[in-house]
Amino acid sequence: MIPILGLAAGVLLGLLFDPTVPLWLQPYLPIAVVAALDAVFGGFRARLDGIFDAKVFVISFVSNVVVAALIVFLGDQLGVGAQLSTAVVVVLGIRIFGNAAAIRRHVFRA
Amino acid sequence: MGASLLDAVLAETLDPAYAQAAEAKAARGGPARPRWRGRLLVALTMAIAGVLAAVTYDQAADTSQGRQEVRAALVRDIQRESEVSDELTTQLAELRAEVSSTRDEVLAASAVGQDALDDLERAEESAAAVPVTGPGLLVTLANADPTADADPVGGATEEDPRGRVADGDLQLVVNSLWAAGAEAVSINGQRLGPTTAIRFAGEAVLVDFRPVTNPYEVSAIGDPDTLASRFLTSPEVGALAAISELYDLRFDYSEEDELRLPAANTPELRLARPEGDS
Repeated sequence: MIPILGLAAGVLLGLLFDPTVPLWLQPYLPIAVVAALDAVFGGFRARLDGIFDAKVFVISFVSNVVVAALIVFLGDQLGVGAQLSTAVVVVLGIRIFGNAAAIRRHVFRA
Repeated sequence: MGASLLDAVLAETLDPAYAQAAEAKAARGGPARPRWRGRLLVALTMAIAGVLAAVTYDQAADTSQGRQEVRAALVRDIQRESEVSDELTTQLAELRAEVSSTRDEVLAASAVGQDALDDLERAEESAAAVPVTGPGLLVTLANADPTADADPVGGATEEDPRGRVADGDLQLVVNSLWAAGAEAVSINGQRLGPTTAIRFAGEAVLVDFRPVTNPYEVSAIGDPDTLASRFLTSPEVGALAAISELYDLRFDYSEEDELRLPAANTPELRLARPEGDS
């Protein structure tokens, strides 16, 4: 319950205060969001599996976001930013899909 | 290799660190750290995720909104400038009328001036610089109708490119009309001057660099009977009629008692010479 409250509070904060993001950071935001989504789904599934661990969740979240942004940044520097973004989104998307399927099996027993 | 990579990605959707942590916890025998700290951390992380998502959403919405605003501003600019251009065109027409009436007044005062005025009138007529009215011939050329046996369900009536009127057809008609003795010719209300070109640009026919569309009505002023008989007996027109028959183009003509042809665009002044110089 507390994590969901935290998420709702975060969304409200972001919408209310509308913080300005520095221009150089803007291209990495969508990728960071996808990475964060992956970590959140992973955490939710781990919780349903009964093996959730706060430390693992926090570390995986931070490292996911940072690494995803970093890969895209590196790709931008090398001139393959768009392709690497696609790669990151594909891999994370598959993982999100797999975790969502596992969560579905837990919730609906099907 | 490729398959095993895909398998790994597909099978390992959960971070293995969770399993390891669970094993370590089981080995230790219960949580050692106070539970509220972990909960706080998780809530904080989730809050960060929320902020991240909200900010990204805002950003994306802003971008598309900004694009629309720029577009609207550009449309406004275009409208304003074309209004200005219309206004200037009207102003130009007024000023031109003023200039020519003043010129006529001044020239009409003397005999030499009268001669010059007559010369000018003839020149203007042949340069298509004045509107003309009179009897003549109206030739209509039109693209073939989309084939009737086209698929009625799909509704995609594919046009045969050969069933379209080309610039060459119009050139042929116009040239035949000139040869038949036409005094003035216009296509869809676009008067042909001595330097007017008829050409293709993409799929549109341009007359004097302005697009004209199907159907094409070619009006020619002259004695209708002479025009019609000479026009119809010319071999080029015969060939065109045969082609039109073959590809279902519409190719009609009618004799008209009164045709109104506007003035052509006044050509730019290209050559001027001081008086007395030769």
